Amino acid sequence: MTTEQYAIPGLTNVLYIDLTSQSYHIEERPDLYEKYLGGIGIATNLMLEEYKEGTGPLDPEMPLILSTGPLSGVYPTCTKTVALFRSPLNGELGESYAGGHLAMSMRYSGYETIVIKGASRYPVYVAVHDDKVTFRDASSIWHLSSAIDVGKILREVEPGAGRRSIIRIGPAGEKGITYASVNVDTYRHFGRLGLGTVFGAKKLKALLISGNREIKSPEHKAYRKTVSMLYDTIVKTGLTEKYHNLGTSENILVLNELKGLPTRNLQEASFEGAETISGEVFADKYLIRRVSCAGCPIGCVHIAMLKRQFSKAHEYETLNISYDFELIYALGSNLGVADPEAVLELIDACEKAGVDIISMGVVLAWATEMQQRGKISTQETIGLKLSWGDKASYLRAIELVVQAPNEFYTALGKGVDYASKKYGGEEFAVQLGGLEIPGYHTGLGNTLGLSVSSRHSHLDNAGYAADQAAFNRPIPDEKIVEYIIEEEDRRSVLNCMVACLFARNVYTYENIILALKSIGIERTEEELKELGKDIFRKKHELKKKFGFRFENLTLPKRFFETASTTGMLEEERVRKAIEMYREKRGV
Amino acid sequence: MAKRLKVANPARCIGCYSCMMACARTWYDTISLKNSRIDIQTKGGIETPYAQIVCHACIDPPCMRACPLGALTKRKGGGVNLNEEICDGCGNCIEACIMGAIHLDAEKKAVICKHCGVCPKFCPHDVLEMIEVEDSGEIKVTDTGPVEDTNPVSPTASHKELYGEKESGEEK
Repeated sequence: MTTEQYAIPGLTNVLYIDLTSQSYHIEERPDLYEKYLGGIGIATNLMLEEYKEGTGPLDPEMPLILSTGPLSGVYPTCTKTVALFRSPLNGELGESYAGGHLAMSMRYSGYETIVIKGASRYPVYVAVHDDKVTFRDASSIWHLSSAIDVGKILREVEPGAGRRSIIRIGPAGEKGITYASVNVDTYRHFGRLGLGTVFGAKKLKALLISGNREIKSPEHKAYRKTVSMLYDTIVKTGLTEKYHNLGTSENILVLNELKGLPTRNLQEASFEGAETISGEVFADKYLIRRVSCAGCPIGCVHIAMLKRQFSKAHEYETLNISYDFELIYALGSNLGVADPEAVLELIDACEKAGVDIISMGVVLAWATEMQQRGKISTQETIGLKLSWGDKASYLRAIELVVQAPNEFYTALGKGVDYASKKYGGEEFAVQLGGLEIPGYHTGLGNTLGLSVSSRHSHLDNAGYAADQAAFNRPIPDEKIVEYIIEEEDRRSVLNCMVACLFARNVYTYENIILALKSIGIERTEEELKELGKDIFRKKHELKKKFGFRFENLTLPKRFFETASTTGMLEEERVRKAIEMYREKRGV
Repeated sequence: MAKRLKVANPARCIGCYSCMMACARTWYDTISLKNSRIDIQTKGGIETPYAQIVCHACIDPPCMRACPLGALTKRKGGGVNLNEEICDGCGNCIEACIMGAIHLDAEKKAVICKHCGVCPKFCPHDVLEMIEVEDSGEIKVTDTGPVEDTNPVSPTASHKELYGEKESGEEK
């Protein structure tokens, strides 16, 4: 069966938006969708079509692509949108996923994929309401200090409440911090690799999408049955329990116990303050509510309430801040911050600035160690003394990185790889592939996984999970390599759907096949597996065009100086595993 | 026994829209949020609590009075029954419902809650409930005996323990 029988309108279309000429058009691409279904499969192929050799990440001609999948807005937890771009942080493949209301809004506005090209001469925001696309002057919201406020304003001037998504940048994106994020509907983000910087370079302050279409359901009885089954699996079994409960921050104590929680710029892998910044503490003391991405019954977005007194007359302000494991690692353990309220304030500062928190945390940790080692002085930091656990200095440092008042802070705003090449300290700049690492130091699986992953993310191949298994019972390196390859291919298929990876064990091949079939798309397990492999090849082809070479991967010494969950790691062993990976992958 | 839908625990809503999707797919053979009789709204983005706009199962429904054609008749347990054959999409009922719980579908027929009980089965946080009422729609007062502490079911129970036992959602 082909997509012709799949009656969801928009499945085969691409909306092209040109910011230079403020125009748009729609193309039908059944050829692409029939082969690649949606999401990362479509985005990768469109990028290969669009990318002209030599175009820089922030050049106007460089496209950015947003894509959802056939299950988006149709089945529970299929709530993600993939963004594909060329990363201004490492010059490589920029690939990032966000939840919120975006996927559902795209689905019901009738667009499966959006390609944004060109650059505006002045700040604009783009509003897509069903089949109407408008370009509006955003000069009056360009210099706002908070990305949160951008949403507040646009909510008032644009229609579509409750059925729309507003994605926007903060000051970091405007200023060209290369790891600026795009805030999605508050609390969700295209966090990694600098999509916000690309928005900023295009003078695109925000993109609003709303839609309320009704979609044909070719096999309605089967569809209803399948939704019911998937809903029950998500809500009534233990498969997603972690996210129903403490959420990702459950991992703080787990990784601390396993000695795999990067601490003080990965000088250690466990944190004496873990007990006070644990998911348990955040839940017991600060968690006030949980929210969902539109279409997901889990509700994993954990919102903490921080009540701050600002005068002796018992006056208080209240901040609602979302937290997750990676944020607590990046601004907590990795900066030696053991005070949960300090962690929340630091998260809030980054949220408003619109900056990738993992990258910011690693950059500040590196700067702290640099200063402690006397490699930089207060001259570079404009008087700031950075020290572990010092919230006030870190809050000021975040401001300074975004404002970039001198060469040093400008360098910090280009990421730890760039800054360490300029100021030294590369051996303890904890990046892999030019991307600041997430909160795992579990051993070979993790370090290998982050190195070879197409976006240098633990979410591509869950290398840390291989290490956790190896911690219990030693696993030969070759098996770890094989685990990573299999996981990458499986996740590539999920990223075509585009399902939330928290529900990866719900959307097994079997259930993906059933979900597709119930909306009229026939696929076999073999076909899906081949799709996963195909996507790897296509992504690798794209990465090569962007200049990626396995040979150029640097492995900072710090990874081999601090014992991991599975013990001391040797560089030689990682290099060998990378070779093994390349051989098995044929690249 | 007459029943009606009640928003029992509005503050527990996570904004997942599962109830809306369930409502719309149960009563229409399409997929949408648009055809849902229940509306989950944001009031100031997801930074503030969600609002659940549902039919209040009025005992003396103003929408019924407003209908010039008699397409709406009193429902046992409160609210109305819609005769779609008669409805011509004039929209007077929409005006009459200050809750904002009525709108029109693509066929210009009123989309109005039947209190069928599907949506609570797709609410993962017990926001929605079906309650027993008198046939007139009045709240039923029964002697329950000694009052028990109704605080959260169990602060230590897992999500699976809380919801795993519940009857499956739809759908024959």
